[in-house]
Amino acid sequence: MFWASWRLQRTETLIAAGILALIAALLVPTGLNMASAYHHDGLSACLGQNPSDACDQAVHGFAARFDGLKNLLAWLTLVPGVIGVLFAAPFILELENGTTRLAWTQSITRRRWITNKLAIIVAAALVAAVVMTLLMAWWHAPLVRLDGRMENSIYDAEGVVPIGYTLFALGLALAVGVVWRRTVPAVIVGFVGYFAVRIFFDTWLRQRIVSPVTATWLDQPSPGARGAGPNLDHAWVISQGPSDKLGHALSLTASPCVRSLGSHSQAVSGDCLAQHGGGYMHAVYEPASRFWTLQGVETGIFAGAALAMILFAAWWTHQRAA
Amino acid sequence: MTEHAAVEAVGLGKRYGSKWALRDCSLEIPSGSVTALVGPNGAGKTTLLQLAVGLSRPSAGSVSVLGHSPLTDARSLLPRVGFVAQEHPLYRGFTVSDTLKLGRKLNPSWDEGVALARIEHLGLPLGQKVGQLSGGQQAQIALTLALAKRPEVLLLDEPVASLDPLARREFLQSVMEAVAETGMTVILSSHIVADLERVCDHLVILSQARTQLVGPIDEIVASHRLLTGPRTDPASVERVHDVIRESHTERQTTLLVRANGHVYDSNWQLHEVDLEEIVLAYLGYGGPNGTGRASSREAVA
Amino acid sequence: MIEFHLDARSGVPTYLQLVQQVRQAVRLGILRPGDQLPTVKEVVSALAINPNTVLKAYRELDLAGLVEGRRGVGTFVSSELTPSPPDGVKELRSALQRWVGRARAAGLDDENMAALFADTVRPPAASRAA
Repeated sequence: MFWASWRLQRTETLIAAGILALIAALLVPTGLNMASAYHHDGLSACLGQNPSDACDQAVHGFAARFDGLKNLLAWLTLVPGVIGVLFAAPFILELENGTTRLAWTQSITRRRWITNKLAIIVAAALVAAVVMTLLMAWWHAPLVRLDGRMENSIYDAEGVVPIGYTLFALGLALAVGVVWRRTVPAVIVGFVGYFAVRIFFDTWLRQRIVSPVTATWLDQPSPGARGAGPNLDHAWVISQGPSDKLGHALSLTASPCVRSLGSHSQAVSGDCLAQHGGGYMHAVYEPASRFWTLQGVETGIFAGAALAMILFAAWWTHQRAA
Repeated sequence: MTEHAAVEAVGLGKRYGSKWALRDCSLEIPSGSVTALVGPNGAGKTTLLQLAVGLSRPSAGSVSVLGHSPLTDARSLLPRVGFVAQEHPLYRGFTVSDTLKLGRKLNPSWDEGVALARIEHLGLPLGQKVGQLSGGQQAQIALTLALAKRPEVLLLDEPVASLDPLARREFLQSVMEAVAETGMTVILSSHIVADLERVCDHLVILSQARTQLVGPIDEIVASHRLLTGPRTDPASVERVHDVIRESHTERQTTLLVRANGHVYDSNWQLHEVDLEEIVLAYLGYGGPNGTGRASSREAVA
Repeated sequence: MIEFHLDARSGVPTYLQLVQQVRQAVRLGILRPGDQLPTVKEVVSALAINPNTVLKAYRELDLAGLVEGRRGVGTFVSSELTPSPPDGVKELRSALQRWVGRARAAGLDDENMAALFADTVRPPAASRAA
């Protein structure tokens, strides 16, 4: 039966391969360029807690050069959604066209047809997701060495979450499609649903999965000395700012300790702040060490939902008349 | 359950929501017969065929094909049952040879020789995409898929409905040739009666989700008569025979009856009735001035 | 070899039409003793009719002694066939001519004569009001 499934999936598979090829065509040259710039600028020596001024400049220069591209590539987080719904399409199309009346009256049972098809679809989606993740991880490598991979746009493309995303989009399109039996609407709903859930996750839910770490510390207790703050290197900083001793955020705009130096610059007197109960910094963050925990939970949620929806689609298709 | 029945239904029914698409259907289709399943659109023909092939689950009663349940015994039964759904669904993007390959891969009892011989005999180009073929050619491909697995029972749902007269004739010719070769049982549904008499030897009339008449066509045609005579109350006839349809003008009464034995009343002139008229009468058509009596009838003989 | 045709509108059952066409062919000498009739498959291909119908026709012809089936080979016109005696036909023809003369004298036109004939020839069960 595998030939039949492949043949019916052929167009969508080729489209998905085409999309990945296009992405590769974009990523490979730029990635190589960025990797060579990283080495050329000697940035590997600039990692760590106490960079020299020269390093600072080099890093900022590097970031300025590739930030634009990095932000542009953040849009590739939509690709798992596209691939997911793409692979769902042929399955729904069979229901819409009524070719199931042909497929289910050959000599294989309905159950076997459904199982077989879904297995191939899921496998194909997995392969595509893994390929994409590897590509993106390779591209991001220099940036990850500098800034870690907890930042949203990088995090979304690393580790295992893209697999969860792809399967989720696939499952959603399938679940909608087998009930509605219209391919184009199901694909659209699947993608829009994917988009909405991703935004919800990225902006609200992700930071609530595992309670973030909070820290309050004295900022620059003596002139020239560094504050005894936490290591925010490579962490996902959810919020950070001046606060009082208890961690309540302080607004500097109304503070009497702010002196205007001109139209756009201000100076803050540390002693003055300390006198008024301020002078602390407060941060809410997820440390880099939590990368795999967060990845695991997020992937689990997306993949778990995907599994439920795919099983529903299988069950529904099996129960309903042709 | 008799051994020689290819398809048997007992109290079979199917409901969609609150609407019954088929109800109280009990019939036996003898092995080796070619049965016409006639009735207007929405009468339950497609429902019955889909229940027989396992595409649908009964809401009431049961159906068995070759002695087996099409749902629980699907694995062993499907290779023995050929089915062509309404509008002969095919994968339009496939070529003819792709379609045959699909048949070969999905059917363990596939006979490639039969398939290729048919395609060659029909002059269908193997490399052509199915979507580009004519309706008649597509119907023939769908039929090839069903025949090449050498089924014992062949179910055809309105196979010639959208075909031109030549394509219709060629399609039925193919089916008849296959029957001559293998002696398989055929059930074909249609809402056009005209073609069926030369091709079918059995009849099932469905109307409003119920079977109206079931039996061999010879006996049905032989036992139904049109009675014409002076205007009168059909009561005396009704005591002995089944009046299927009655119509009256000022001076004349016309009755279509299923005779139980001879009609001895000398008031009536007897005429033979052709199959189409019989079917129409059972479908409730009352004639220009008449009233039909659409109600369930028992099987003939 | 005989070629069958079918008149779907004649009201005569298909198998009976085949029987009649074989009888006619034998009468006219188109089919001679020992000739093979078309196989069931050939007739089915040509006319798109139910094979059982052909079998029924051939069975009836076999029972009437007109043809004989040879297993595995086919159906053949019977070698022992007695043609209808020419005398009988001649006599029937002159009787018919006399009858036609009488009918015309009685005022029947061609159509009425044909109707009367058809009514009389019809199988007894259908039109008898016994």
